[in-house]
Amino acid sequence: MAQPPREDIAVSRDWAPARLFPAIVNSSDDAIVGETLDGVIASWNPAAEGMYGYAAAEIVGRPATVLCPPGGEDEGQEILAKIGRGVHVPHYETFRRRKDGTDFPASVTVSPIHDEAGRLIGASSITRDVTEQMHARAAAEVLHRADDLKTATGSLESFTYSVSHDLRAPLRAMSGFSAALLEEYGDVLGEDGQHYARRIVAASEHMTALIDNLLRLSRLSRAEMHLDPVDLGAEAAQIAAELADDDPGRHVRFTIQRPVLVQADRALIRIVMHNLLSNAWKFTSGRDDARIEFGTAPARDAPVCYCVRDNGAGFDPAYTHKLFSPFQRLHPASEFPGTGIGLAIVRLIVERHGGRVWAEGAVGAGAAFYFTLGAEESA
Amino acid sequence: MTSRPILLIEDNPDDVALTLRALKKNHILNPITVASDGAEALEFLFDDDDTHAREPGLILLDLKLPKVDGLEVLRRIRADERTSLIPIVVLTSSKLEEDILSSYRGGANAYVRKPVNFAEFAEAIKTLGMFWLLLNEAVPE
Repeated sequence: MAQPPREDIAVSRDWAPARLFPAIVNSSDDAIVGETLDGVIASWNPAAEGMYGYAAAEIVGRPATVLCPPGGEDEGQEILAKIGRGVHVPHYETFRRRKDGTDFPASVTVSPIHDEAGRLIGASSITRDVTEQMHARAAAEVLHRADDLKTATGSLESFTYSVSHDLRAPLRAMSGFSAALLEEYGDVLGEDGQHYARRIVAASEHMTALIDNLLRLSRLSRAEMHLDPVDLGAEAAQIAAELADDDPGRHVRFTIQRPVLVQADRALIRIVMHNLLSNAWKFTSGRDDARIEFGTAPARDAPVCYCVRDNGAGFDPAYTHKLFSPFQRLHPASEFPGTGIGLAIVRLIVERHGGRVWAEGAVGAGAAFYFTLGAEESA
Repeated sequence: MTSRPILLIEDNPDDVALTLRALKKNHILNPITVASDGAEALEFLFDDDDTHAREPGLILLDLKLPKVDGLEVLRRIRADERTSLIPIVVLTSSKLEEDILSSYRGGANAYVRKPVNFAEFAEAIKTLGMFWLLLNEAVPE
């Protein structure tokens, strides 16, 4: 059986609403603020003082918009309009600004206030600082994301494994049995047949190169980074010397700015320099007066950018957006061999350094590749 | 000594055929036993009597095998006194660092990644055969 209401509470003067409500408001942990219909602060409880840092005396009479971060003032107007129509505004999350100019995440409820005659005279807003809840939520989100990432990394590992193992086996069979056909049945095949068999061998080798590059791309995207001071000019000079050694028949004039100091992962940034310079080397192969330059240039979103420029075959600027996508090639393999992965790797590494990469060029007029390494990392 | 058999542990029939062809092309005429998975290899080596366990002069081992995988086969071969000293060459498609490390830690004598190109593959098989069956001084019987 339910207990009857306690008579002593109902008749006690201590618990009379007129005495009680100010006490409740004053003891609340939530900021409870009264506003007039035109948005002026009319009452301010101790919790509001603690939360915002304004004493009642300095804030009452000022517009409530001082409690909103810039850009948030419209929100107050909108809410007052709703209140004007007598609508209660349930919890919503927003930001509030303290006296010291710092902002905090807040959960706010606004309700209309009526006088004794029932006329709408203003609004009361109850505001709770939800910084801690936000942190807890963010922490939970981070954990969740870490779990997702672990799963994704796990499946990437097994994907990488099956790519490296399972896809190579049939390619080896294609290449191997075509070679067996050529060697043992060459005379039966005739000239055309031998040509077709050789094309199978070449195609399986090309696909092997594609798979190896795909694996390289996947490994690079996971490789740990160690930032060290690196002289890009010295790296460029060394790579230039290697390119010249490998292809002594060519005469290419290198102009390399030194030193060009950056903070970067040495192994990764060397791949960037190597890919850009060997591209320049490759695409200038048709010229007797080949020139390749490396140096710095002004950039709009970073203190400086780095540039590899050549006077080679260039590219059609209409396809610039395709340059950095994996396996996209703008030149026929017969003219300039390659698998189309080099610039995709450049972009991946540059972006992992917090920078970006872009290119300028025109058909027959050379190409220039620019990259930044992220403002905080440029030495 | 040079006629001691080779045990090829390989599940892919294409790779088996290509390996056999490469051996033949390079005039490596040792008898060859093929086990097409790890369980079969262990059964062959560790059957009722000792003869098979003591036979092979070289084991060519693929890593990714059905039933018992290559690293487990390696572990079991090394754990048995009769087979613990047989040269084992891991011959696989994988070049994952962890596979290479686990193979050496498991007691493999060499780790060779199968090239896709047959000429290179045949060259690799030739080199392996020459080294392990001819040049290298085997453990005395």
